[in-house]
Amino acid sequence: MKKNMYLKSVIMLSMFCFLSLSVAEARIKLVALPKRADTIIRLDNPQFTLIEEERVLTLQQGLNKVDFSWNGVSIDPDSIRIDILSHSDQVTLLNVSYPPNENALVWEISSAGAREEKIRVSYLLSNIDRLITYKSVADKAETQVNFKSHLILRNFSGEDFANAKVLLDYGESFEEGIRHEETKQLLFLKAGTVPIEKVWQWDSKKQIWDPEEVDQNVGIPVHYRITNTTDSNLGQNALWNGKMRVFQLDGHGSTILLGEDAVDLTPVGEDMEVYIGDSRDLVVTQRKMVDKQTNIRRNTSGRVVLYDNEEQVTAKIENFKDTNAKLKMVQHIPGEWDMHSCNFEYKKENANTIEFEIDVPAQGKAELVMHYFRRNIRN
Amino acid sequence: MKKNILALLFLFLWPNISHAKIDLVILPTQDSVQLTIYNSADLTLVKETRFLTLKEGFNELQFSWANTLIDPTSLEISSKKKTDVINVRSLKYPPKIKNVGLWNIHSRISGQVPVEISYLTSGLSWRAFYSGTLTPDEKEMSLKGYVLVTNNSGEDYANAQVRLIVGQVHLVDQISSLALRSAPYSTPYQAKTDSNSIHAFQNGRALDYGDYSDVTASRSFKKYRRKAKAVLKEGLSEYFLYTIEGRETIPNGWSKRLPSFDVGKVPVVNLYKYEEERYGSQVVRFLSFKNDQDHQLGATPIPGGMLKVFRHVDQEHHLSYEGQSRFKYIPIDEDVELNLGEAGDVVVKPMLINFKTENYLFDRYGNISGWDEVYTYKIAVKNTREVPVKIEIKRNFNVQKWDVQHQGDYGAFEAIDADTIQYTLGMQSQENKEFMYILRVFQGRRGDGG
Repeated sequence: MKKNMYLKSVIMLSMFCFLSLSVAEARIKLVALPKRADTIIRLDNPQFTLIEEERVLTLQQGLNKVDFSWNGVSIDPDSIRIDILSHSDQVTLLNVSYPPNENALVWEISSAGAREEKIRVSYLLSNIDRLITYKSVADKAETQVNFKSHLILRNFSGEDFANAKVLLDYGESFEEGIRHEETKQLLFLKAGTVPIEKVWQWDSKKQIWDPEEVDQNVGIPVHYRITNTTDSNLGQNALWNGKMRVFQLDGHGSTILLGEDAVDLTPVGEDMEVYIGDSRDLVVTQRKMVDKQTNIRRNTSGRVVLYDNEEQVTAKIENFKDTNAKLKMVQHIPGEWDMHSCNFEYKKENANTIEFEIDVPAQGKAELVMHYFRRNIRN
Repeated sequence: MKKNILALLFLFLWPNISHAKIDLVILPTQDSVQLTIYNSADLTLVKETRFLTLKEGFNELQFSWANTLIDPTSLEISSKKKTDVINVRSLKYPPKIKNVGLWNIHSRISGQVPVEISYLTSGLSWRAFYSGTLTPDEKEMSLKGYVLVTNNSGEDYANAQVRLIVGQVHLVDQISSLALRSAPYSTPYQAKTDSNSIHAFQNGRALDYGDYSDVTASRSFKKYRRKAKAVLKEGLSEYFLYTIEGRETIPNGWSKRLPSFDVGKVPVVNLYKYEEERYGSQVVRFLSFKNDQDHQLGATPIPGGMLKVFRHVDQEHHLSYEGQSRFKYIPIDEDVELNLGEAGDVVVKPMLINFKTENYLFDRYGNISGWDEVYTYKIAVKNTREVPVKIEIKRNFNVQKWDVQHQGDYGAFEAIDADTIQYTLGMQSQENKEFMYILRVFQGRRGDGG
């Protein structure tokens, strides 16, 4: 099997020993095929995968040519590097040449003596990469999750790796072989218990104002908020972007799937927001009860040139659940404005966005009333 | 019986040599199956319990699922009881073989270990539907709820515990599209094209979700039982979980109808609505009640579905078909209004009977700069039915500054929003009513707000 794997390898490192230095075509004469030793698949850059492979060359005294060629794989030739590891003071890379119409390059290496020399070849290989997935299992009370992450290694590069060290920028490394067209899932991060905050969010720009007017159910998006800090048993590193599936213990020894989301890269100290689904037991009905021009200024022809607009918006929030809910409500008021009255405290997120956190009791209601003037609107 | 899902256990003689797979294959039997079927998405969570006889050291378990709609990225194995006994080293999807997963499991013991294999599949679905029967006076309705579970997953599920989820789950990818990918997690160069292949499922087995024809219902079969199965209902997060008592067998291609609830006497109100902008000039009939204890309901939300409404017309319980209504998910304590369609036997006729303008303002050049428009409407309302009804009449103005006055038998008045008002009238059988409203619209400078 191992032999077979090796034969399938499409990246070749060949060594030629020259009898006569002037014969450039002598590449085909005497070939010693150094075996691939330690290989590292480094996946810390999400766009590019770096392969590092160590091989032992049997060098002759004088000039040696080492041929590196590939077929059926995609290697960025400019990324190919060679490092002399054992005797860097006595072994020198003289030049690199590229044979015509071939996926290959030839290193000319000068050695002070005949010896075995360990080298490391590194290059960027296409179509081998990794994905990160997350799985969280929430408790019944939805206060914490059991948090883990998998590394998905996908090799469609054309090259088989019989054994390699797979590295990310954090987490455990893996000693794994991966064949061409193979996908492998490996457990990569097990954070244990991580506290969560459950947030319902209604945004006046995104959600429908009057659910009665539409035939489908209008849900209110529900998020789990996970903070990437050590207090949360995380916080060692940024959490990569990836797909998260959230399950919940059902109290009968099984689980249900709550939902899944594509989460963004979450640096240390930041929040990861996981959109799991929509609540249909929290209903917001928002209506504009007053919408009229005031303080109208006209030009000499009687045309309205400037006015204020008086608006009163009411949002009725009904909680049909048997637990309290904290609704984050985002309201948008364009242009220049001032609040005349508002029955809830709000935080100004930016010039035109205000945010409320409204507690709605179990099986209860709350009503937000905001009365504001949009000022100096030009006609 | 179609069995496409196979779990094979390979035992290794030499734990360290990963290719030393030998031909000793053990087929662990399926001990139990649990199906958790969603209705807001084409999604089912399947959990199978199997007993594996493991050797101490490394074991390889092959799981294959040809001709099914399983999402390979959702495959998971875990020890059912002794969590530290087995350790899943990796899950490998071998090259060139479709629909096969290979777990490398390290066991600390030699012997039987109960494991749970779980995955997501598409192709199983359920929907709710209802049948209501009104009393002759239309004051009460008996309401029966059903669920129809359909299996088009490609796999037969025998003796499965069936659980249904009511709720709006958020998914990034459709499970059917994940099931049809050329590689389980797609490929680095194919990620984009794969996501477009959702509808590419061959054999015509892909489900056009949410559009089950009644053909599936006619194929459903019913086992004769001494007693209808109970359905345990409980809330979890934003969802409701319905667990059907006992075990069900649902072969691929079959549907199964199960009773969900049966309530004898739900008090209902005959509600009629008139709103030109929404329903045109016809009155639309609604049946209104509340999902609460006063209405013999309120234990759980009611999943959205189609309700067919019948009425007992005589003592012999002959039926008349009143209409049908597709309704949304109804939370506990929420009012329900079921749209039964246009009604000809309740009539609302608004008539503009007078129009005038007044209170003109002029600018300094003598041009008109403001005025009032005064519209007088008469609304005639007729209930030609033998039963009392309630009527809601909405009027939208689409003007900024207005004022309204009303006269006559207008019932209850309510300002709905900045330019909408509503009159609610209670009508006895065969009753006629008339009322008027005078709408004053302030134009130009008359609307300047002083």
